[in-house]
Amino acid sequence: MKMWFRKNPPKREEHTLFDLILQYKKSGDFVHFHNPQTPQPYWISYFGSLIDVEILHRDILPYLNRTALTSIKDVKKILPFEDVLITSERQIIEDALLRGSVLIQLHEKDAACALVRAEMKKSREVTIPEEEYSVVGPKEAFVESITTNLNLVRTRLPISELQIREYTIGSLSKTKVAVLYIEGIANEENINTVCQRLENLEFYQILDSSFISQLIEDNGNSLFPQLIDTERPDRVAGVLAEGSVVIIVDGSSHALIGPISIMELFNAFEDYYINWQMASAFRLIRVLAVSFSILVTPIYVAVLTYHYQLIPKDLMVTLVSSRRTIPLPPFLEAVILELTIELLREAGARLPTKVGQTIGIVGGIVIGTAAVDAGLTSNVLLIIVALAALASFTTPVYRMGNTIRLLRFPFLLMAELWGLLGIAIAFLFLMNHLLRLTSLGRPYLEPIYPPRMKDLKDAIIRLPFSLQSNRPHFLQPQDQKRFLKNKASEVKDIDE
Amino acid sequence: MKTEIKPEFLVSPFLVSFLVHGTQYGVGVLSFQRELAEFVGHDAWISIIITGFIIHILIWMIYTMLNNDKGDLFTIHQRTFGKWIGNLFSLLFILYVLTMAITVLRSYIEIVQVWMFPLLKTWPFALVLLLIVYYVVTSGFRAVTGICFLAVVFPAYLILTFFVPIEFSNFRNLLPIFDHSIYDMVKSIKGASLSFSGFEYLLFYYPFIKNPASSQKYAHYGNLFTTLLYLLIMIVTLAFFDQEYLKIVIWPTLMMWKIIKLPFVERFEIIGVTTWAVVMMPIICLMFWSASRGIKKLFKVKQKKALVVLLFICFTISCFLTERETIQQYNQWTSEIGFYILFCYLPVLFVCYHIRFKMGKKI
Repeated sequence: MKMWFRKNPPKREEHTLFDLILQYKKSGDFVHFHNPQTPQPYWISYFGSLIDVEILHRDILPYLNRTALTSIKDVKKILPFEDVLITSERQIIEDALLRGSVLIQLHEKDAACALVRAEMKKSREVTIPEEEYSVVGPKEAFVESITTNLNLVRTRLPISELQIREYTIGSLSKTKVAVLYIEGIANEENINTVCQRLENLEFYQILDSSFISQLIEDNGNSLFPQLIDTERPDRVAGVLAEGSVVIIVDGSSHALIGPISIMELFNAFEDYYINWQMASAFRLIRVLAVSFSILVTPIYVAVLTYHYQLIPKDLMVTLVSSRRTIPLPPFLEAVILELTIELLREAGARLPTKVGQTIGIVGGIVIGTAAVDAGLTSNVLLIIVALAALASFTTPVYRMGNTIRLLRFPFLLMAELWGLLGIAIAFLFLMNHLLRLTSLGRPYLEPIYPPRMKDLKDAIIRLPFSLQSNRPHFLQPQDQKRFLKNKASEVKDIDE
Repeated sequence: MKTEIKPEFLVSPFLVSFLVHGTQYGVGVLSFQRELAEFVGHDAWISIIITGFIIHILIWMIYTMLNNDKGDLFTIHQRTFGKWIGNLFSLLFILYVLTMAITVLRSYIEIVQVWMFPLLKTWPFALVLLLIVYYVVTSGFRAVTGICFLAVVFPAYLILTFFVPIEFSNFRNLLPIFDHSIYDMVKSIKGASLSFSGFEYLLFYYPFIKNPASSQKYAHYGNLFTTLLYLLIMIVTLAFFDQEYLKIVIWPTLMMWKIIKLPFVERFEIIGVTTWAVVMMPIICLMFWSASRGIKKLFKVKQKKALVVLLFICFTISCFLTERETIQQYNQWTSEIGFYILFCYLPVLFVCYHIRFKMGKKI
């Protein structure tokens, strides 16, 4: 009697397992039943909505019904599972039940019980990446299950140095969050920064990796993404090998990569699958497209409002004949058209794919032509705005595209206020902001500032692999060398 | 007194060349030709070389003091003149920095008013520019250096534009060489001092450089680049303009841009003036950073508060400078003060410091 008290001091009633079960029974999907017909009667309880009934019927019940159990520890011997847990600790039992374990007891009021994992694994098939589609290269994308995602990464990096640290975040959602890095390559400081921020995170619900990225970013008020979200396992494997830290969140089909520099927002992972000349050209086009997209409408407004002297005579004729009948000032004209484009984009994004496409075409062609015919906007501006919108979609990272489209409006406003000078001022503000920004404590504008020649090899352009023998410097990897250079690029003489 | 600066706030030594060049190459570039040509006419390019050479010597002096002291202007002043007088000199130096900042800001706004927006009020534009300055300076010295670097790299395309007027130039304008007396040369150096000033902020940001002693050569490179660039602009200007005409042109560089014609752009000077907003930004930022840091060290106040006060003073004074003549007068004064501080006070300080240092060693 004395021993019994010491083991289970019943201070409060709900501390016993039986009371816990009674409490759970209030929920309709909790199953708790007794099987008295078998050699050894037992009690079994689980959440019907969390477990896989097939496992229960195939792998648990037949064995329990067949064998006579003398103590609860025998469950471990007879069931074909490697991790049957025998415990009497309430916290563990509660967690396990809520994560899809089956609880087995010999007597209803026993404190000790066996826990068998039988959670229902539901996840969709691994599909083709949609946001970061690439013509060449692998076509697998992450899904919503963390186990599948970790599998997709680990199969690409079958090395023991790939470390995974797991966290449970969210007071309500209890989301599993995994931090991945390669030991010996990734910088300790980066890993510690990520882990520290995740440990300090207090939030009630993590539904997607974007929650995490918003919560742990260096500057939450910045428009610019400071962690890249990707749905490509190959990209994750690639950056892990460079020394980045990756965060994978259960229930999210996007992994987070950090630290990043702004140039990585212009890199599609496809760049590594095509030859370097092509890749460099495409990257340059993307950088040009982004500057074009931000600046071209403001410049149109600035020049037509204040600096018409800038335009040469011949070009002026074209512009004037296009704008002759337009009743609106350039600024209003531009704002209306920009808003129309945003409207079309938003409507297209909210509607199902097929309808969205139709809306895009109908809206684009019909409204555009009608607006010009009606004399509300000029042809020139229509071309400019459409091109700018198109250019904003060239960024491989979706969030960056949004940033660019939003950035255009302050620039427009400044252009209306002070012409080209206003644009220069907005540009200065933007530059300062980018200079100030950090990603996990690393400078965001690198390799432009601080200027690092070595990192330019894989920034605005991508040089051939044989020249990329060093890992990017800004990640401060522990091991700088990717491979030994002299072996890869041996110089041979003629006919040798 | 001496506080160690955390390593994450330090900048690489080679960025010093951008800091030096970026602060020298400012508003003066648009107008410095006239002040030189006024005294030495077509020999102005010689005085550019001489001034550049003198600046090299001054940079050497500054580095000798700083390497010896491992501190900045304030520790040097204190060691040389004692606590009170030293601090007084430091305060005067900060005042000089502030007046220079006002000159740069007001001259730029004046250019904007003359060339782009004649009806633009001074205060809203000054306010916005100073807000940017506040934003940069509060981000710390690394951001100030970053702006310096970007402001050298981005507008670098303007260097190409200085070659365009060569097509319409007559290089015989440069002959005969050495046509002026030494006295005229000295006077012209005085005129050039404003456009070459900017290296003296080394005295403030020296402790923020990684391995500061190794940065000396980069400071010299920066000054060398400035000298070469000024030389190019000067020679092109002299060859492009008639001498008598040059004496009445206020902004010769802007005038030269007028002849640039591209298939899609005319009146290039508007683009030039716009780009100049990016060029002159780091100068003001570095000036305010230096001045506010100085006040922080002298009076033990928060740098942010000092910065706000300085920006407010600058804003008020720039708003009161309304007439073209007053601005001209003000620039004249600061140019004069700048000349004496750079070319007289710094060597005197150098000598005093060394005398004091030797004496201190003996005692």
